[in-house]
Amino acid sequence: MEAASIAAGRTTHDTHEEHHHGPPEANRSSRVEPQMLGMLLFIISEIMIFGAFFTAYFFIRVVGGAEWPAEGTELPKLIALTNTCILVSSSLTMHWALESTKHSNRFGLQAGILTTFLLGATFLFIQINEYVHLGFAPQDHAQGTIFYGLTGLHGAHVFIGLTLLAFATIRAFRGHFTPAEHRGVEVPGIYWHFVDVMWVIVYVTVYIL
Amino acid sequence: MINPLRSEAEAFRFLLGVLVVAAVVVGLVLLIRGL
Repeated sequence: MEAASIAAGRTTHDTHEEHHHGPPEANRSSRVEPQMLGMLLFIISEIMIFGAFFTAYFFIRVVGGAEWPAEGTELPKLIALTNTCILVSSSLTMHWALESTKHSNRFGLQAGILTTFLLGATFLFIQINEYVHLGFAPQDHAQGTIFYGLTGLHGAHVFIGLTLLAFATIRAFRGHFTPAEHRGVEVPGIYWHFVDVMWVIVYVTVYIL
Repeated sequence: MINPLRSEAEAFRFLLGVLVVAAVVVGLVLLIRGL
């Protein structure tokens, strides 16, 4: 049939277009999948946003030589360490949830993704509680601005991650995911690990170093 | 080479790698400060 089309001076592509209705299809790269390209561009933009905040941090601390944290203030390192452990644990449960999906373990999926959501919510709650008891505000000094800016930016990402996880959790309890089709868990999982990686960097630079 | 954008499993392995690197950096900095 294709030979007949070629003989008639038409390619397979032309034949396909005859049956296509509506607006023209978007151009697709043969090298990069659209989902991968979208995620790549998203992560690059995220790195640039965090990079801007880290630049400000290093500028006031290294170039400006300012004391960190500001004089008369103290950062709750132990609480932040606890929060770090909570967030890293949530990545473990996220990984467990997806592995369970791949092995048709419905209980593992539901328990894993629900625990991930609860651990993430606990992290955010502790972070907000830390803000309440810190004793300084963003407008008090440059160090405060950078501290709230970096941790707040990360907190906003945790909130977005929790929103994605909420949808994935609801879908998991409705039985939407199978070993063959689990992109609804995979993509939030990648995002959640990215949020964790960013927190490890924020924690080390802001609280430890 | 790990590509953390390809799959959740690779992103998880990347996170573990970042944890190890962070621990080494913190250890080195604390060691240098202690000297």
